[in-house]
Amino acid sequence: MDAEAVKFLAAGLAIGLGALGPALGLGIIGYGAMQGLARNPEARGPIMTNMILAAGLTEAIAIYALIVAIILAMVA
Amino acid sequence: MAATEPKKRRGCLGCSFPIILIIVLVFVVITVMGFLAGPLGQALFGEISWLEWMSVERPEPHLPAPVLFHVLGLPITNSILAGWITVIFLVLLSWLVTRRMKLVPGKLQGAFEAIVGWMYDFCRNTAGEVNGRKFFPVVVTIFLFVAFNAWLSLVPGYGSILLGDHELIRGANTDINTPLAVAFISFFFVAFFGLRMMRLKWLKQYFNLGPVFRAIGGIFKGKFDFMGIFSGIIDAFVGMLELLSRFITIISFTFRLFGNMTAGEILLLVTAYLIPWVLAIPFYGLELLIGFIQGLIFAGLTLVFASMAVTSHAEEAH
Repeated sequence: MDAEAVKFLAAGLAIGLGALGPALGLGIIGYGAMQGLARNPEARGPIMTNMILAAGLTEAIAIYALIVAIILAMVA
Repeated sequence: MAATEPKKRRGCLGCSFPIILIIVLVFVVITVMGFLAGPLGQALFGEISWLEWMSVERPEPHLPAPVLFHVLGLPITNSILAGWITVIFLVLLSWLVTRRMKLVPGKLQGAFEAIVGWMYDFCRNTAGEVNGRKFFPVVVTIFLFVAFNAWLSLVPGYGSILLGDHELIRGANTDINTPLAVAFISFFFVAFFGLRMMRLKWLKQYFNLGPVFRAIGGIFKGKFDFMGIFSGIIDAFVGMLELLSRFITIISFTFRLFGNMTAGEILLLVTAYLIPWVLAIPFYGLELLIGFIQGLIFAGLTLVFASMAVTSHAEEAH
């Protein structure tokens, strides 16, 4: 394999593996929010706000991997 | 009377059927033309010469913001310009809204009051009545700055007006220095309120050397308390870890905002390149949502850290 191929392989692996954890985390967040909603439908507002906050925090981890992938594929 | 009679509603989405048919047809034609002009269509069907005017150059994202000119030896990048535009825009907007305030608000004042009032409730719910009022100005400023940076960078002209080889203005959040500056402001804000409300107790969370010195002092008084020294060392170590995590917080604040905004920008560029004219439209809506969420996260985390800094651990335990 030449250096170019390894670079693109690394970029793909970086975002692919890096998205695994946040995907699981987002699923857990959605699960928790749905359960909370089902048990207490009146608390929709606060649950929504906090869920979006937590989802954004989780998503950021995938974004770190995305930055690495972008740097590998396009800049480096 | 024909005017007062309830008219039979025909058509769809407020247009009559022929017009909506024409709109849908034009949209489908543009989509197909864009698909053929883009790299996907070119790879499948070969280059079509009369569609060349539609295709977009391959985007080449560059992460550091290029320097446009120097003022008194200070380099001015295009993202700084965008940041200034956001500041001026926010100041003008606030001035317009508060110039003639009415008890019954108009449209603009109503919209602004809704955003600010919602943030105010958010502050009070998270940090309590008294502290929420204190934190509110900085928190809502961070929120407005981050969110409007993201929203304004979707306006046409950002990234498309060229000055020499570079864009004249580019979204301020897509340069790593702007998120870093906001993260520093957030860090000093938290430290300031922690020191002001808790005095030395706030520092004691991080430099927790009291127990280990007390235990060592006990040796000279003739009491050798091995467990005391051991747990004192562990306390000091935990304090150092907390201090480290404070600084890591700055980095994670910075990269979260920078990464989201840069990825959004590159996403828009790539979608505009893949299928020109059409595919980028839904992603503009996504970017609106992401700008709002990032502003909310930045402001909300600052608020949470600040309210954690002003409540002592002893109170928290109960």
